[in-house]
Amino acid sequence: MEYALYLGCTIPLRFPHFEYAFREVANILDIQFKEMKGSSCCPDPVATQSLNIDTWLTLAARNLAIAEKMGLDVMTICSGCFETLKTTHVLLKENNEAFDRVNLVLTKIGYEYKGTSKVTHFTELFSQEAMLEKIKNVILRPLDDLNVAAHYGCHLIRPSKIMQFDDPERPESIDTILKVLGANTIKFASKLECCGYCARLNEDIGFKLVEEKMSELNKLELEVDAMVAVCPACVSQYDRKEKLLSRKTGKELDIPILFLPELMAIAFGIEIDKLGLKNRSVKPMKLIEKLKT
Amino acid sequence: MIKKNAKDLDNNFRFEISKKIGAKSLLNCIQCGVCSSGCTVTEYVDMQPHRVVASCLLGLKDEVLSSQAIWTCSLCHRCTERCPKGVDYSFILALLRNLAVKEGNIPKEYSDTIRTISKNGFVIPYTGGMKITIDRRRDKMGLPKIITPNLDEINFIIKETGLGDLIKEDNKKEVKK
Repeated sequence: MEYALYLGCTIPLRFPHFEYAFREVANILDIQFKEMKGSSCCPDPVATQSLNIDTWLTLAARNLAIAEKMGLDVMTICSGCFETLKTTHVLLKENNEAFDRVNLVLTKIGYEYKGTSKVTHFTELFSQEAMLEKIKNVILRPLDDLNVAAHYGCHLIRPSKIMQFDDPERPESIDTILKVLGANTIKFASKLECCGYCARLNEDIGFKLVEEKMSELNKLELEVDAMVAVCPACVSQYDRKEKLLSRKTGKELDIPILFLPELMAIAFGIEIDKLGLKNRSVKPMKLIEKLKT
Repeated sequence: MIKKNAKDLDNNFRFEISKKIGAKSLLNCIQCGVCSSGCTVTEYVDMQPHRVVASCLLGLKDEVLSSQAIWTCSLCHRCTERCPKGVDYSFILALLRNLAVKEGNIPKEYSDTIRTISKNGFVIPYTGGMKITIDRRRDKMGLPKIITPNLDEINFIIKETGLGDLIKEDNKKEVKK
């Protein structure tokens, strides 16, 4: 199994410890990668798409063309990148005029977009039957003493006519992976709510959404040890705003937010200290203590 | 409330949108309101999703393009997911922003983002001191070196697709939203 690894920008430049955890996990699961040399920002589905859809599609098609030249499907590790690259792949397949327009620009810089490389997100790969079996076999530290909440985020699953992965209203993939790791997964009302990161022009929205979800998790009878997400924007949004809200409102919002591969790495026996979990705004000290026992 | 005479409506506006890639579905709207009831930001907008669509269909171009609603979206895609008529509202919203941008209505945060991409190839600055810090951190973790994309190629695409003006240093057109 080999993929062209598309890192994007947020993870490699701002959260390299997420990349580290992902690479360790993929390595243990025997997933091979080739690096996508010369790829740029996906580009981001908020600003670039809002400014000019053609710019968005063409920059994305350039990235996909790099993977096509390598003859490999694309593995994304961020839901924003997944949305941009997969939307481009699907839209350009359906729309000949846009396909030609994109290629007219790309040929002038020596690229051709054909649409031959599929785009995937690690959640899609990890939740496949055969991969779940593999995961079961490499667990060294089962997480059966942990209560974990799954945050799916929006772009992983919606719009389903584009993303074509999991159920857009009742997703299960992340919970399935968590259960295989041994964790107890949590049912909660605001599970499918958006993190609000993309509503960047009005920060109140993000604060409200983060407060709602984290307050609900805090009020549950059982103690939530962590919430996991599969997108760096979601992780940083909850992590940062939880801290800010605690300071502002005096409420104790202290549930640590983990990137799914981090929790997988822990279950696979990677040394916790190597994962940089202490870089979080909400330090997962309680969780780390629990995991070390 | 806005009062408008029929002759002041832009009857072509709906087609200006619907002929664009991914936006034909605009014409399917039956005003059921499912989009607005599930909208993540519904309490923060000056015009709810179904009203934005109705206004597009009616030809209230200026009202739509100057609304705050088109910029207040969390991209959760629930509107598009749940629409019984297949109206791709979240994508149509992006198109409406594109049209507003053409009229010079550009949030500074967004033009800053495209300038960052233009200068770095990434949405995060990766030059000078930043580059040194990032590289050092990655080295320590044993992660591979970052290979920067060819910026001439990135800027060629930005210019050819119509955003050349935005990446000029002296641009003063954008307004803070």
